[in-house]
Amino acid sequence: MAPKKVEPKKPEPKKPEPKKEEAPAPAPVPETPKEPELDLKSVPLEFTADQIEEFRDAFTLFDETPTGEMKIRYAQCGDVMRALGHNPTNADVLTVLGKPKAEDMNTKYLDFETFLPMLQHVSRTKDQGTFEDFVEGLRVFDKEGNGTVMGAELRHVLATLGEKMTEDEVDRLMAGQEDANGCINYTSFIKHILSG
Amino acid sequence: MGCGVTKSTQLQLKPCNRGNISVPAATAMRAALLIQRWYRQYVAQLEMRRRCTWNIFQSIEYSGQQDHIKLYNFFGYLMDHFSSANSQRNLVSHMFGESDVFQDMEWERHVCYKEIEVLDIYTGPHLSFPLTISNVTELVHAFKNKQKLHARYVLQLLGKTWTLLRLMPNISHVCTCKHKEITICGDLHGHLEDLLLIFYKNGFPSAETPYVFNGDFVDRGKESIEILLVLFAFLLLYPHDVHLNRGNHEDHIVNLRYGFTKEVLGKYQVHGKMILKLLQKIFSWLPLATVIDQKVLILHGGISDKTDLNVIAKLDRHRFASALRPLKSSGASARLKEAALDPDGDDELSTGRRRVQSLTHGTPLRLRQELPRHSVHSESSRTSRSVEEELRERRRLAGLSLSSDSDPAEVLETDTNEWKQIVDVLWSDPMSQNGCVPNEVRGGGCYWGPDVTHKVLDTHKLQLLIRSHECKQEGYEFCHNGRVLTIFSASNYYDVGSNRGAYIRLGPDLIPHFKQFQSSRSTRELTLRQSVGRTELSALQALRMQLFAHKSDLIHEFQEYDPQCTGVISVKHWAAAVEKALRLALPWRVLRSQLVTDSAQDGTLNYQHWVNQLSVMQPNTEITNTSLLETLYKHHSNLESIFRMIDTDHSGLISFKEFRQTWKLLSSHLQMDISDKAISDLAESIDFNKDGSIDINEFMEAFRLVEHSRAETDAPASPE
Repeated sequence: MAPKKVEPKKPEPKKPEPKKEEAPAPAPVPETPKEPELDLKSVPLEFTADQIEEFRDAFTLFDETPTGEMKIRYAQCGDVMRALGHNPTNADVLTVLGKPKAEDMNTKYLDFETFLPMLQHVSRTKDQGTFEDFVEGLRVFDKEGNGTVMGAELRHVLATLGEKMTEDEVDRLMAGQEDANGCINYTSFIKHILSG
Repeated sequence: MGCGVTKSTQLQLKPCNRGNISVPAATAMRAALLIQRWYRQYVAQLEMRRRCTWNIFQSIEYSGQQDHIKLYNFFGYLMDHFSSANSQRNLVSHMFGESDVFQDMEWERHVCYKEIEVLDIYTGPHLSFPLTISNVTELVHAFKNKQKLHARYVLQLLGKTWTLLRLMPNISHVCTCKHKEITICGDLHGHLEDLLLIFYKNGFPSAETPYVFNGDFVDRGKESIEILLVLFAFLLLYPHDVHLNRGNHEDHIVNLRYGFTKEVLGKYQVHGKMILKLLQKIFSWLPLATVIDQKVLILHGGISDKTDLNVIAKLDRHRFASALRPLKSSGASARLKEAALDPDGDDELSTGRRRVQSLTHGTPLRLRQELPRHSVHSESSRTSRSVEEELRERRRLAGLSLSSDSDPAEVLETDTNEWKQIVDVLWSDPMSQNGCVPNEVRGGGCYWGPDVTHKVLDTHKLQLLIRSHECKQEGYEFCHNGRVLTIFSASNYYDVGSNRGAYIRLGPDLIPHFKQFQSSRSTRELTLRQSVGRTELSALQALRMQLFAHKSDLIHEFQEYDPQCTGVISVKHWAAAVEKALRLALPWRVLRSQLVTDSAQDGTLNYQHWVNQLSVMQPNTEITNTSLLETLYKHHSNLESIFRMIDTDHSGLISFKEFRQTWKLLSSHLQMDISDKAISDLAESIDFNKDGSIDINEFMEAFRLVEHSRAETDAPASPE
């Protein structure tokens, strides 16, 4: 399984970043994100050669081009980073991609060389979030302090707040977790998810 | 779910309509973000594992098919090189001779089902002909309850099916008649549960619910005969509304290898042989394609740049019993003639026999580097017999007298062309590049590109090609700019959780609508993680078997990285070595953590130890010659096919002599050096009850692998 590179740091409250919807000027080579605040070219690669090979293997798994061109869609970028053990938010991913337009997400492609500095950047993000944070997150909804949360409430929150999840995502997350009263024992829930 | 909120991530202070969130909004927000982030990471990691598993299964399947090509090449080799020694010639003609295949018109005389008595103890369904809807419903329910249909009724049903199929054209034309929707299903491969699920969701076949079943009903799954019986029953009931296309698995030679023959003989011990013979006929009479509203073409495999529906419509499809068996009569002698005339003296005989050629361009599998192509090009050299002698031998082999009246050259031409048309239809796969190249992975048909699709479809004024033949994770997949659609209806094909199945509803607008499904009660109860984990486990086990089969190659590659013979290599080199030895394009570095569990802290590995840990054979195998054992294991699937072919009376036994001859021929074809003594010893050690004959099933049992660490656990079956 992919190693989880979790840095045990305290999470900072999430700043809602003002998202400017304007895309960078259309470049002839759309793969290189042009973003003044984030200069990927200046990110030194600290990965070892062996790690890079492993990342390449993983990248290939997500390559869906019919001729195996070693490219992934922008929309897949976040997934590949997460598969490799990092934990960016969707906002982080968009930043590192150069704040692309919504329609670019499924039409623009990213090759491995471009991906690597993005991965490096994301791996250094301080706000990685830990297992304990996850527990804390759930505990927030444990109104009675008895180790359970209301499934319905959790669904609602996840689908309406933060980086909203789709109904499908929520269903999959909660599959088989709610008891007859619609409650979830979140300690076992967490164990079940994280013991993969 | 959502409360109609805006897209921004601004603080929400709305009271939740499912009870109040008594939590400050900022906290709730933060909590939500955390959970969402973790969830997305969890899903991404699962997704990677799922893709990894999928890759493993697909690679192994392709490599298994390469194995199958070896078998096919072996048959070709036999045709070329059997010696004039009597014993060997008898063996070969025994294998290829069509013994006691009866003429079409006389089936009722030979298949005397009337004399098969149905005893009172039989509790299964009774059929009366002509069939009624209640008969058929009863049949379906019986199969659902794991009952078996009595051999008498099976034979009766099959006989009637055969009579009906002979009246059908090669290409069925179907009309939506401006209001009907037609349901199209892909490969079923013995997965009765999937068929029943489709019927449950979509309704039984009827005049209002017409169906097209696109081949590959049998093999691999364990309920192939039940699927056939149900499909044939509906066909008899609604001959205008049920359409069956032949698949490449509707072929008795393929069935020898992929489990259908075994299934039938196991379920029908007395009448299995007769059932199989009848099925052989039926398969050859299955139509080859269906066309809807003259716009949508449905066939099992695909097309080639030579595909001509007019030729296909007119040929005698039933002459081509198996795509893999060389054609009888004019075929054999004519091919030989061609070979004799071939100025280049190439080994490759006419394309009619589909001898594999090595290619110079890339395979559809994504290879990181240019791995050495697994060449199945036959390296046998020509013998120096005269052409006349060969001709005589061939004719005797094929069991005929002198050639027919018609001009042999002309007959050859048509035969070969027709044969190729059929093989292309049943075996081809699409590729993304333009062009049309022989399909060396399958050993039959071709890979065809988008330009061929456009050309063939436009020439015939068609708009869409629907085909099956390849497993797809979502049950269906478009390619070639939406003009080719693959539909696959066997869910959990590789293992539980590996893929969904799907079927198509097509109305007069000819726009396909998909319905996906995934059978198996157990999957529904498993969470995503659990089902991914299960499939993964099974894939890894299959992979370990592949590794085991390549033990010597692995050791050899490892030693290349260990010039000082220290016995250890780095894990980095492990990945490179394994990639070379197995020639499977897999993400080995990602898999490493699963396959290498005892590397040292410094990232090194004792490779000999690791190889020994892989798996061992069943402890009761008395064969002590380990390298021979390994070789046998490597080729055991093909061996089984050959044995079953030799065993023409399906007794499950072959004689010592036959065993030795087969093995000798196979080993010389594979250019292995095995002494006669080693073979004899082997034969004796396999003859467990010492009666001079070998039980095929017992022999194959010896090749089930068990985990090294677990003593008597059952090893999961390989994804055959």
